[in-house]
Amino acid sequence: MGLVSWIWFWYVLVGFIMGGGAVIIRNLLRSSQLKLVWYEWILMIISYALFLFMAQTFIASFQEFEPKAAWFSVIFIGIPILLIAVVLFRSLKKRYTKKLNS
Amino acid sequence: MANKKDHSTVGRRDFMKKLGMGAGAFGLGAAGFAGFAADGFKDLDEMMESPLAERKLPFWVKEVDEPTVKIDWENMEIFHGPENTLFNPASWENPQDYMDIYNRNIASTKKNVQDNVPGLSLKDRALADANCWGWGGRSGADLAPPWSGADVKANPKWEHPTMFYTPEDYGVEKHQGTPEENSKMLRSAGRIMGASDMGFVKLDEKTKKLLWGKITFEDVEKGYAEPENNKFVLPNKELWAVCSVIPQSLWMQQYSERMSWASSNTMSYSRANIYGNRMSVFLRGLGYQAYGGDTESIGRSVGFGVMAGLGEYGRAGILVSPKYGTDIRTVLITITDLPLAVTKPIDAGITEFCKTCKKCGEMCPSGAISMEEEPFWGGGAAYQAKGIKGWYMDAKKCYSYMLGGEPDCSRCQTVCPFTKFDEAVVHDLIKLSIGSAPALNSAIRKMDDVFGYGEEPDLNETPWDLDPMDIPLYGLDKSRS
Repeated sequence: MGLVSWIWFWYVLVGFIMGGGAVIIRNLLRSSQLKLVWYEWILMIISYALFLFMAQTFIASFQEFEPKAAWFSVIFIGIPILLIAVVLFRSLKKRYTKKLNS
Repeated sequence: MANKKDHSTVGRRDFMKKLGMGAGAFGLGAAGFAGFAADGFKDLDEMMESPLAERKLPFWVKEVDEPTVKIDWENMEIFHGPENTLFNPASWENPQDYMDIYNRNIASTKKNVQDNVPGLSLKDRALADANCWGWGGRSGADLAPPWSGADVKANPKWEHPTMFYTPEDYGVEKHQGTPEENSKMLRSAGRIMGASDMGFVKLDEKTKKLLWGKITFEDVEKGYAEPENNKFVLPNKELWAVCSVIPQSLWMQQYSERMSWASSNTMSYSRANIYGNRMSVFLRGLGYQAYGGDTESIGRSVGFGVMAGLGEYGRAGILVSPKYGTDIRTVLITITDLPLAVTKPIDAGITEFCKTCKKCGEMCPSGAISMEEEPFWGGGAAYQAKGIKGWYMDAKKCYSYMLGGEPDCSRCQTVCPFTKFDEAVVHDLIKLSIGSAPALNSAIRKMDDVFGYGEEPDLNETPWDLDPMDIPLYGLDKSRS
């Protein structure tokens, strides 16, 4: 692997996305004065792990000359990530609404 | 050079590179790289088609009209040839000077071996000989080694005086080590000489049945051969089969509808023979015997591969490795009297998976591979041997198809769900599931199809259009070697 490797670039990009996402989530939680409860932490960690897994499969599948596998991995792993995100969002929204009404 | 139409086509191989180039140029723009990349070019296509792109050089390496060493072409003397180098005693004003160095070399090399100096010991010298000379050129008329190994004398006339030395020549005992140490040593040497993986089988009354029928045993110290009488003899003593996996290029198999571009499958045999010579020279250098070691002189490669734990028996009647799938050729067998720690057969759930998968059978264009769900006791034809409960393939159909115009067909190997590049982590998870939760095997096979594995490659892409430096050395995939 040379000094300038395009594969490195993609993994760095994944790192930026995940890091940036974490910062955004933290800021949103702070501004809404919400704290994650234990099961939300678990869901968050699972979704992060799944995103990393999806990204690795996507990038590596192109390295393996398997573009179809790359895109299907986005669908098959991305859907559970979206579902978890929806559950998390609804859970947080419910608590936020409850907090506003109290 | 690509035509205009090709400019608008981003092939899957170029996907990462082209996007990477654009994004990389953006990211490194502050450092001036983008300026360099775009300098003088209208677009990336033009840059990639420039003469500079024909040989990929790092951006800090410039092509110049004159080499950086000063050359006086007017007075350049023509060198006569390699015989004028100092490797030839006649090139020395005083040939005795050469002989003095020569003798010092022998003395120091011997002393280092006798003193067991790390890096210069007997096994190091044996491996050096194997790597340096074990390519077949000194071992016989053919590339393949002769039956009883590289049985050549030390060559004192060659410029390298320690070529093909044995422990006897060095004045030391043959290599001493425990079977475990010897196995470890062979595995290390094997990787350097060209084996992806290795296993060791002791020859006993059972495993001797995996040898060819023409091989017999006699109470002799050393085996011998009378090829004119089709007689091949091994000594009646403790012997082990060194089983070495010779890798096949999956990378090359992406480039033709037969899934074996430029004989990527059978090119492994030529590497196997060179490897066999090296192994033979290595064992000889350690002071031990070596027999066979070419691609067809010993016995059943799949059988020995299974017994050595290099893989499991698969539906197509070929070895399926948990790491390389079926894309290996071959398990090269060398018989030796070097005591070795045997490796046991393995169970990675592969044979069980083959019962439900059947992908090789479905994709086989000749219909040679059995579609029976359960393995069966077969055999009976002259080209088969009874004794295995497996999926006996109709080799006549396979052979007829290949000789009928598809000599490089490797579909059964390439489409096998175990035959994968080793970049994506998901493959290990799938193998973990196959090995521990066979109930999911059917679903895994279906997913293998859905994800497009084993599909015919895009024939619009050809390796001839790639940057040569992007082609893996020897065509071997770095993720699988």
